[in-house]
Amino acid sequence: MGNMALTIASSGIDAQQAAMDTVAENLANANTPGYIQESPTLEAAGSFNELGAGAGVTTLGATQAVDGLLLVNNQQAVGALAQTSSLQQVLQTVQSAFPVSTSSGTASDLSAFWQSWDAVAQNPSSASDRTQVVDAAQNVATDLAASSTQIATSQANAQTQLGSLAATDNGLLSQVASLNTQIVVAQGSGSSPNALVDQQNQIMDQLAQDLGAVGTAQPNGTINVSVGGVKVVTGNTAATLSVAGTPGSLSLTTQTGTTVPATAGTAAGILAAVNQYLPAYQTQLDTVANNLATTVNTQLAAGYTATGATGQALFEGTGAANLTINTAVATNPQLLAASATATAATNNGANAQAMANLFDAASGPDQSYQSFIQNMGSQIAGVTSQVQTQTSVANAAQENLQAVSGVNSTNQEVLMLNYQQAYQASAQVISTVDTMIQSLLQAV
Amino acid sequence: MSSVNATAISYTPTDIANQMMGNINTQQSLQASLEEQLSSGTQINSPSDNPAGAASVLRLSSSIARATQYQANATDGLGWLSLGDSTMNSIVSTLQSVQQSAESITGTALTGGSVALHAVAAQITGASQQLLSLANTTYNGQAIFAGTGNVTQAYDANGNYVGGGSAPTRTVGPGTQVPIAVTGTAVFGTGSTGLLGPGGALAQLVSDINTGTPASLEAATTTDLTAVNTALTQVETQAGTLGSSYQQMQAFSLQATATSTALQTQMSGTDGTNVAQVSTELTQAQQTYQSGLWAISQLQQDSLVQYLQ
Repeated sequence: MGNMALTIASSGIDAQQAAMDTVAENLANANTPGYIQESPTLEAAGSFNELGAGAGVTTLGATQAVDGLLLVNNQQAVGALAQTSSLQQVLQTVQSAFPVSTSSGTASDLSAFWQSWDAVAQNPSSASDRTQVVDAAQNVATDLAASSTQIATSQANAQTQLGSLAATDNGLLSQVASLNTQIVVAQGSGSSPNALVDQQNQIMDQLAQDLGAVGTAQPNGTINVSVGGVKVVTGNTAATLSVAGTPGSLSLTTQTGTTVPATAGTAAGILAAVNQYLPAYQTQLDTVANNLATTVNTQLAAGYTATGATGQALFEGTGAANLTINTAVATNPQLLAASATATAATNNGANAQAMANLFDAASGPDQSYQSFIQNMGSQIAGVTSQVQTQTSVANAAQENLQAVSGVNSTNQEVLMLNYQQAYQASAQVISTVDTMIQSLLQAV
Repeated sequence: MSSVNATAISYTPTDIANQMMGNINTQQSLQASLEEQLSSGTQINSPSDNPAGAASVLRLSSSIARATQYQANATDGLGWLSLGDSTMNSIVSTLQSVQQSAESITGTALTGGSVALHAVAAQITGASQQLLSLANTTYNGQAIFAGTGNVTQAYDANGNYVGGGSAPTRTVGPGTQVPIAVTGTAVFGTGSTGLLGPGGALAQLVSDINTGTPASLEAATTTDLTAVNTALTQVETQAGTLGSSYQQMQAFSLQATATSTALQTQMSGTDGTNVAQVSTELTQAQQTYQSGLWAISQLQQDSLVQYLQ
């Protein structure tokens, strides 16, 4: 019987030691991303003797506090947040090219352009006032082209960012595949795959953030990864992603050419910016440019030069990027049709005045520009408020996950006391049994 | 702390640290936005700050520029009109002197004979030259009586009208145009019914006086003088037209100024930073930020480990 107590106490010491290991591991990894809290799995050992108290405790290993639902919730929240954040980043860059200013920028230069026509109306024969019109027109054209270039640059930058994201994630995908292999091997050899799962967990968080990837746990402990329903990791095989297409129809594809429809994550945000938002802004800016050209050229066609000739167009080309000034008019501003009549046109500025009055023309360039700015502002404000909402959602998901899987140091310290006391008690049992045997030996 | 009241959840130190950092960042970006408003003096610096506001800032800004332009147009128009007004006064007094000369020839013919008549004719010719020069008055290099047909002169050296078209106008309000001059033909008439040029009333008067026959002198004091009187009435009518244009222009100029002021007020209401409000908000944000920092400094100071020594 005495022997049994020693064996039981010894198994107790072993068990508390193993439990203390989990505390040490948990505290050491308290701040490790992807780490899942472990707890010892202990089981009362079966008794071999009908009269016996039992055979002590068996240490089965360390179990991870995994909650699959919370894990997936957290990954989805992180993916959704990354999607809107990356969209917001691209749009903010574009927005910085359109400051709301009353003293500079396209709107203010448009005002200056219309005002330059007033000067011509007041003094139709003045060469310098006519040159002013050409200069002001050139300023507006330059503004529009610069804005268009800014949008195109943001588009190109976003595309580059998507390319490097794909390159990074290809590395992560192959790591997941390789960890899958190691997990199978570890389980086959009877060792604990916990550390491998932690690593995989951390990579999956990153993939969820980048691509909105979803992991599906397999019965053998491995995970398969899919993005928008397309499998990118199956067992030990990982797909290689690349960026295909041109802005407007940009997409992520696998090496076999299958489109990977990223619906969340940074990639989805960038794709939305490059394929929808920025082309729409470009189109609206083009509308401003085309409205400007049509409005001005139509008014000029209705007028006459000082010699009674029909007015020539001032703007040429279509689209914000290609709007230019008619070279003939630029070199000879006398060709600007300031007169409203073909006869007595020498000092007639009535058409120039009519032009100046177009500053607030319905669906004129100024109004198109204002509605473009308002539209862009509303979209960015909407995305910004989505980012705020999704930050709260992601924080809550993170809290929920941490509550189950995270390391609460106070809890661990309480457990540590428990284990310490149990360890000391088991040691005391050994010492007491020893004393008992000693006293028996002395008595004999 | 957004959801600290959910006490059922076990908060790990990582959680609490993340929350605190998140709150600190929020306060910092709020401070940055308030500081931008204060330093720029405008509430709306990016379209997304206030999309509808951004569009109305642009709209107001262009309306203000237009109102300012209306003021400038009115000022230019007032320049034309006041020059036109004073020119008309000179024309009236010159014509009155012609009237007096023509009325004096009855006595002159009896006492001084043909020499005296020639002197009167020369006087009227001089007045006619003066009228021609007044008719070619320019403002800012532009002949004010030439309509839109000529830049520098309304009449050539012989007194023939070389202008054309109608009187120029200035736009002084949305869709509102005020004439800033009258044409030479409206003031002086044309051809044989006109005042200036060969065959005009003055030329006829001079020729009749120079002829010196009783019949021609009779014509000079009756028909010709009547023509001069008619011309004077016409000039005075046109001077009245210019005068009323001047008053109209002045009224529109005041209106443009008032419009511009109202728009500026609206603009500062839409876009201007309410300094008192933003400063107060900034102070609050700074205090919250400092409390956040204090909370972080208190983070988990009471750890169980302390009691286990």
